[in-house]
Amino acid sequence: MKLLRRLNYLMHRRKLDAELAEEMEFHRSMNPDAPAVLGNATLAREDARAVWIWPWLESVAQDLRYAIRNLKRQPGFALIALLTLGLAIGLNTSFFTVFDAVALRLWPVKDPARVVKVLSQGKRGPRGFSLAEARYLRDHSKSMSGMVAMNDERVVMGFEDFGKASYVMFVSGDYFQVLGVAMHMGRGFLPEEDKLDEPVNVTVLSYAMWRDHFGSDSTILGKQVHMNDVVFTVVGVAAEEFRGTTAGNEDLWAPLPALQSISKEPDTRAFLRSPDNCCSWVAGRLAPGFSQKSAQAELDVLSRQFRNQNKLEPARVVIGDPTVLSAHPKRRTFMPVMGLMFAGLILVLLLACMNISNLLIARAVARQHEIEVRRALGAGRARIVRQLLTEGFLLALGAAAIGIALAYKLPGYVFAIAGDGPNVGLAPDAMVILFAAAMAGLSAIVFGLAPALHGTRPNRDRSRLQLRNVLLAGQVALSVVLLIGAGLMVEGVQRARHNDPGFRINDVSVISFDLPSSSYGADRITQFSTTLVHDLERVDGMRPFGVVERAPLGRSHWFTGFRLPGEPIDTSHDIEAHEIDSGYLDVLGIPVVAGRNFEQHDVARNVVLVNESTAKRYFDGTNPVGKSLIIGKRTFEIVGEVRDAYLNYLDGVGPQLFEPFSGTTTPNLLVRSSATGAVDTVAGIARQIDPRIRLRGKPLSDNLDEQLAGSRTMAGIAGMLGVFALILAVIGMSGVFAYVVQQRTKEIGIRMALGADASQVIGLVLSGAARAALIGLAIGFVAAAGVAKLLAEYLYGVSPYDPRAYFEVAAVLAISALAAAYLPARRATRVDPLNALRVE
Amino acid sequence: MGANMANSKSAELLPGTLDLLVLKTLARGQMHGYGIAQHLKLISNDVLQVGESSLYPALQRLLLNGWVKAEWGTSENNRRARYYTITAPGRKQLEAERQEFDSMIFAIQKVLES
Repeated sequence: MKLLRRLNYLMHRRKLDAELAEEMEFHRSMNPDAPAVLGNATLAREDARAVWIWPWLESVAQDLRYAIRNLKRQPGFALIALLTLGLAIGLNTSFFTVFDAVALRLWPVKDPARVVKVLSQGKRGPRGFSLAEARYLRDHSKSMSGMVAMNDERVVMGFEDFGKASYVMFVSGDYFQVLGVAMHMGRGFLPEEDKLDEPVNVTVLSYAMWRDHFGSDSTILGKQVHMNDVVFTVVGVAAEEFRGTTAGNEDLWAPLPALQSISKEPDTRAFLRSPDNCCSWVAGRLAPGFSQKSAQAELDVLSRQFRNQNKLEPARVVIGDPTVLSAHPKRRTFMPVMGLMFAGLILVLLLACMNISNLLIARAVARQHEIEVRRALGAGRARIVRQLLTEGFLLALGAAAIGIALAYKLPGYVFAIAGDGPNVGLAPDAMVILFAAAMAGLSAIVFGLAPALHGTRPNRDRSRLQLRNVLLAGQVALSVVLLIGAGLMVEGVQRARHNDPGFRINDVSVISFDLPSSSYGADRITQFSTTLVHDLERVDGMRPFGVVERAPLGRSHWFTGFRLPGEPIDTSHDIEAHEIDSGYLDVLGIPVVAGRNFEQHDVARNVVLVNESTAKRYFDGTNPVGKSLIIGKRTFEIVGEVRDAYLNYLDGVGPQLFEPFSGTTTPNLLVRSSATGAVDTVAGIARQIDPRIRLRGKPLSDNLDEQLAGSRTMAGIAGMLGVFALILAVIGMSGVFAYVVQQRTKEIGIRMALGADASQVIGLVLSGAARAALIGLAIGFVAAAGVAKLLAEYLYGVSPYDPRAYFEVAAVLAISALAAAYLPARRATRVDPLNALRVE
Repeated sequence: MGANMANSKSAELLPGTLDLLVLKTLARGQMHGYGIAQHLKLISNDVLQVGESSLYPALQRLLLNGWVKAEWGTSENNRRARYYTITAPGRKQLEAERQEFDSMIFAIQKVLES
């Protein structure tokens, strides 16, 4: 209450001070004949005002001084508390930094609150619009003062590492103006550079690309750069803080029509013009006076009009804030992962708090006398609690500083190890610092309040012991949950790594090619594939090899829809599709269980292979060979059935369909790694076909590792948290054990004097704490079983109740508990009865 | 803490006593700062002459502790003045301090008479 009044004073200080002055003025005017009696008026007013602030400030300063002195006297405790809490807060803050960057921070554009993402609600989540629709919306909308479309493309500029590409964003001509992006130098695009039929090859570089690849060349404007061998003129460099609007690394920008210069295929022309050629990302700036809601309503109507005119299915328009993650297609998978991690991190923080709490209680014993003296001198209980809490806040302050420092470095480091991560500025901003401070403040209350209230209770009784044991049990339970979660995930990754994927993975290499795509139309690509295969077949020892559109377990997947003869025309069964040649099954060792493999001339015929899962699901497990299925308007005959293999994902095999490799897309080559000089041979052949072609070979198992990278990172983080939790638990346990021994030294002495032996003493002293640890273990098991179910997705078939993980964790904890108990127990058995009795 | 008496005739008040006196005065009814000073002077036969420099800090202290409330009103001579009222916690505090004061005086007397 006093605090509230004080706050009220601080908030209305000016008014209240004026009131005081007026009141004192009144006093003086009532007493005109006694100026000598009244002292200096200003001084008097100062004294009166100071009542509100000074005593308080003074007592806070006093508390702080006292707290610092106290912590200095116990450097061991202070260090452990600072490090554990600092680490826990640092982990939480690091996590929050990433979350803040992708989900909370608005795009680095002018007045970002008025900028919105515009998406259409597709069947599988939000998606973009066709460029034609985006233009229609822009031209007719009154709620938007400007709308831009964006489409990303990967291009080779010549300075990339092999297999890497630069990320260019093709954008509407007024992109920089609408978003209000400042230019470091030069300009954005002009209206005449945004004409569909007259593409102009100009580009704006990102600051990072300009700095890293052009040496911050101040004369860059007007110079030429190459994208896939096509010349573009640099007209500007964007401001340093603008990294684009997506999670990818936007290296440079070019006007949308210039897509046609990069790729001459008819598809590209259609993509820029056709009303149903999805999808480009769209963003807009709200016109003055319009809200997100009114804009959404208007765009909804416009979209319906457009789709009606073009006979397309209507789709709802969705509007989102301009953050990386809002209305992002991956949001639905991303959010639960974030939630799980956050839960784990909060558990760790809680654990650290409990730990410090326990240590504080142990210290309270040592401070009993001091606290009693202070009480005897007239300090109120609230005052002493405040003093103890000040120590907690001081610790938390230090921990917050450690935490923020950690958050500066850790996220970038983790992404670097994982080899993947969103393109976002990860420097902690005010939000992050606020978060760390809030975490620290809350922690100080969580770990400080119970011991403070406890230590200052007028009547001490045995329940203090119980609080310690409750804390101990809680600590053990939390670390069990974290350890089991981590153990299961690590096991999941390991199992996935060693499971038989259903195809040969260890003796196969993938060779991929970089064709100069600007000058390669579909015809030339086909020609390249055909020549390559033709030449390779003449090399001894190369067979078997396979030519394929997508290597197994690669990053891209292709699904198509089919129906069976006799099913209604709008039926569509999702099926994983692979374009393969006849060597594919041989080199991967996938057996044909019925019918035949592809033959040379199958490309021209309408034939497909299916896997066992397809046969099981759509042909009642009967032999599908000779039956047919329909894709689009074409009917295909099934000529063979192959064994199930994990070609796309590691967590399951669904229906798969194999079509003969058409050769219209850049091929990947699968060869036996044991074939001598395979990569050199292929390189030689490729060079003969076109010296500009670059290629790279890598073991197929790299794909497996890449697939597992995300899970491995998760497992690694979980493992780290688990180990951290274990260390905290050990510190906590040994603290409790040591405390119990110290408390009962006298009793132990008496019992030893009466002839008790060491094991009896140990059993007696530690049984309470040990029981608490066991109860914690049991609670932890139950909680872990619940949590593990949520993790099922990341376990690759390992059961959430896998007894091995539980057993291992129990064993690890038992060993840790023994280690934690060893020193205190030894001390207990060494108690000299005479000394012990003389202690008081 | 102590209330410095401005008048040379009077001795220094015991620490904290001014708060007690102000509370006691207010227990009789609403009063403004000048009124409180006048009242103390009158009742004590001019022995207790409380100056602004001790009265107003005391009043602010009482406000901070929630023992009195203040509101603006109009004075006898039709001017704006701030009137103080004792609150329920204030009465409790008065009672407690009164007892403490009594026992203190009793103790001092015992010492002096010994």
